Order: sequence, then C-alpha cells, then structure tokens
Amino acid sequence: MMSFIAPHLPLLDLICIGTGYALSQAIVFRAGTFSVATSGFAALGAYCAAILVVKQGFHPALAVGLGTLLGLLAGLLLAAPLARLRGVYQAIASLAFVEILVALILFFEDLTGGPLGFHSIPRVVQPWMLVVAMLLTMAMLYVLGKGAIGRAFEAMRQDPPVAASLGVNPTKYHVISFALSGAIAGLFGGLDALRNFSLTAEQFGFSILIATLSAVVLGGRRTVVGPLVGVTILVLLPEIFRPLAQYRQAIYGLLLVVVMAFLPFGVYDTIRLRMRDRRLARQAVAAASSGARA
Amino acid sequence: MTALRLQGVGKRFGGLRAVAPFDMSIEPGRITGLIGPNGAGKTTVVNLITGVYKLSEGRILFGDQDLSAAPRHEVARAGLARTYQTIRLLPDATVVENVVIGMYRHQTTSLLAQMFGLPSSRAETARFRAEAQQLLERFGMTRYANYPAGALSYGDQRRVEMMRALALKPKVLLLDEPVAGINDVEAQRLGEIFRALADEGMAVLLIEHNMRFVTRLCDYVYVLDSGQLIAQGSAAEVVSNPTVIKAYLGEAIDA
Repeated sequence: MMSFIAPHLPLLDLICIGTGYALSQAIVFRAGTFSVATSGFAALGAYCAAILVVKQGFHPALAVGLGTLLGLLAGLLLAAPLARLRGVYQAIASLAFVEILVALILFFEDLTGGPLGFHSIPRVVQPWMLVVAMLLTMAMLYVLGKGAIGRAFEAMRQDPPVAASLGVNPTKYHVISFALSGAIAGLFGGLDALRNFSLTAEQFGFSILIATLSAVVLGGRRTVVGPLVGVTILVLLPEIFRPLAQYRQAIYGLLLVVVMAFLPFGVYDTIRLRMRDRRLARQAVAAASSGARA
Repeated sequence: MTALRLQGVGKRFGGLRAVAPFDMSIEPGRITGLIGPNGAGKTTVVNLITGVYKLSEGRILFGDQDLSAAPRHEVARAGLARTYQTIRLLPDATVVENVVIGMYRHQTTSLLAQMFGLPSSRAETARFRAEAQQLLERFGMTRYANYPAGALSYGDQRRVEMMRALALKPKVLLLDEPVAGINDVEAQRLGEIFRALADEGMAVLLIEHNMRFVTRLCDYVYVLDSGQLIAQGSAAEVVSNPTVIKAYLGEAIDA
C-alpha cells in the first residue's frame, strides 16, 4: 500500500495547498464580492514565513503564524478600497494588487531574492500538517457558514440591497470576508513556502490566480467541499491524461467549458442541489399519498 | 410606543421633483394607508423612509432617533421592516433560511462565537429556527419550510417576504402593495393578519391601489398624486373627496 501512496504524496501536498487557496477565493465569492486577491495574500504569507525562518531564524510554526497574520492584515487593508467597488471593478482592482505585489517582490532583491527567487528554505512542513491545516480550515468555514455570519454572507451574495434592508451592514461583512480570505491564503502560502525549498514571484502571478478560480468554478463555490473537489480534479486530471500530455491544456479548457455549461454551480454543489431537489420531491409525494389516505 | 414622523420630506431627481415636501405620521396601533395612481410617488416615499434614497429636504424622526440620513441597515436596526412591490427573496435559500435571515437584528452573540460556532451561537441559531417555524405556522407555510424560496408560487413568495419582514419583529412595517396579484379571499386573510399586527401595537404603512382593500382596512389614509399630497383623513373622508376622485377617475366632462 505504502509503495503506491509514497510516489503520489506530492500530489496530496498540491491538493491541500490548492484547496487552501481555493477556500480563500471561495469565501469572498460567498460574501458576494468578486476579488481575486488570494494569490497576493498567499505571496505575502509565503515570503513572510520564508524570510523569517531563513534570515531571522524564527521557529517555523511562529513564522507561518505571522504569515497568516500578515495575510489577515492585508485583507483588512484591501477591504476598505475594494468595498467601494462592485463586480468586475473589484476583480480588476484586486488583480492590480496581485500584480503590484509580484512587482515589489521582484524589486526588493535583498529581501526576496528578486527574479532569481528565494532559495534553500528548509522543508519542515510534512504532508500530514497540510492535511490537518486543510481539514481545520474547512471545518471552520463550515461552522461559520452555518451561523449568523454565513446567513449574512448568503444574503449579501444573493441580493445586497435586501441584505441591507434586513439590517446587515455590508461594509462589515466585506471586511470579514477579506480578512478571512487573507488569513487563509497567508496560512497556506506560509505552509507552501516551507515545503517547497524555494519561492519565485511568478509562482503567485496570473497563472495561480486562474488555477484557483478554475478550481472554485469547477468544484463549487457555496460549500466547503466544492473547492476541494475542484482542486482534486484539476490536480489529478493531468496525471490521468498523461498519455495525452500534449493536449493537456485543451482538455483542461474543454472541461471548464463543459462544467460551466452543464453544471453551473460546479460539480459538487450541483450534485448536492440535485439531491436536495429529489429529496423534496420524494417528501412531496409521500405527503400527498398520506394526505390521500387520510 | 413611538410613531414614525416625516417632516417636510421631499425628493428631487436632478431637476425633476418626484415628491413635493409633505408631512406624514405613521402611528403605532394603526394601519396608515398611502394611496395614489401609478407613478404618484408611493414607492419613492418608502425608499426615502428606508434610506434607499437620500432626502432632498425634510427630516424623518422615529421617537428620539433621527433617521433622515441613516443608511439602510441602520433603518432596519431601528426597527423598520419593509416588503417590496416586486418580490425580492433570496431565491436559492430555503423558506426557513429566508425567514431566519430576517432575525438578523436580534442577534446578540459575539463575532468570535459566530466564527467558531460556540454553543451560544448554535443555541441562537436553533432559537431563530424555532421562531421561524412559528411564523410559518401562522402563515400556513410549514410544508414548504425546506423548499428553495425561488421555487414557490407567486402568492407563496409574497407570504415568505411578509414572514421575513415580521421576523425583524419591527416596530414599523412598510408594506409596498402586499396584495398585488393576490385574489380577494387571500387578500382578506392577509388583511386580517395586518389588522392583528396593528392591534398588537405595530405601526403599519400600507401602500395600495386597491381602494376597496384600503377603505376596509386603513385607519387613516394619505393620498399622493404626481408627487403631491392631495388629501388625508379617514378612509371614508378621503374616498368622497372630489380632488381624490378626480385624480383616480379623471375629470367629469360637461356635455
């Protein structure tokens, strides 16, 4: 058994990290905002953790914790200007944030290694830690979604003016969603840095942003399992289609188009919605037949 | 019990005067009617009260609170609930969830308790859901509790919207054409519910075209026409007022 799992452990790492990023992205979608700042928050967490461990000799756990905090603070700071924007304007502004961060990483060579990257980071994060971090994050977001914050997010996503007319302060929940998004991305960025030996600025550029968005669209953006499903599909697919490696990008694009056309809420969320509809239909039939007998 | 008072409230959109400055008082324990032909500015008045539009002039006072410049969520937190002329539910959420979100202003648990699902937060959610079930019973909607609100029929969606407004346990309830598109029997049932709410001490503002419904239900009626307040008084006084008849039916043509 171990001989089967061991060579695939890097895939598990990728799934856990990717799911962390996808959860960070999904939480802003759930609050009805269209920010794509996740990879920027991840870059902050990653470089913060790496620099503190390598240059300052911090304990890795403390460094990752501070990376998480930095992500959270960046989320809070970004929330103020972004809460004033809507829809595609928010997406563009947050994309600018990511690009500015990448440019700054390239510029401050002394601190970050610049275009050459930041290297010889100790690999201290084990796969099990990533699994634990992912599961804890999912559990926290699940609990949060069940309570008052989840209800406020849900109202803001579906109809912002109605949410306000029920007493939900939109700015407050924008800030909460950005802070959470920042903290989660900062955490997984830090973990990513301490398992990968090296960091480069490009790692947090446009391509990871697209991969994260794709995972959320593919898996589902309303549940906590959806992002995990999306990332798992995107990570495993290239392995399954290895014989077709040269068509990989084409298959990947085709899959996204098919999912958006036929499973608009993502693979996992659509299945859940269909199951709910069938359950309600069964209940209605049962209620009707018991009514007829009475 | 506090009344909602509008003092010299008016609204201009650019140069266009939508509502000329007028006074209005929405008293607790009463159903206040606001009627007028299409385009008279009735919905604009609701949007002014609830903070959707900014006042061009005048003040809105609720007890000792000045709501003239309050944003929407603060108006709601002060205890004003509304329904919409065109139904606005959260279509993906279930009926119960739609009602529970209306209880937002009664939340007392801390943000941290909510974030980590502490017992206090879970107990509060359970209490809200139980209260929502009571409202569902009152409106005869129990069997639809777990259906997505968007899947219900028009009349049932109206009920959900009404339940959501009542979930706020408002002091002032603003109903924007609540029986539009609902048959007479159902409208009468809803009318009885509105009457019961007013008897419990709620201040109800009813916006309606349906004159019969208004005259039967309202204690005091304001009439708007083209943004002007043209009459006010008891329902009987208002319907026999020549200006009101002219606004509704047009001028008699002398042959």
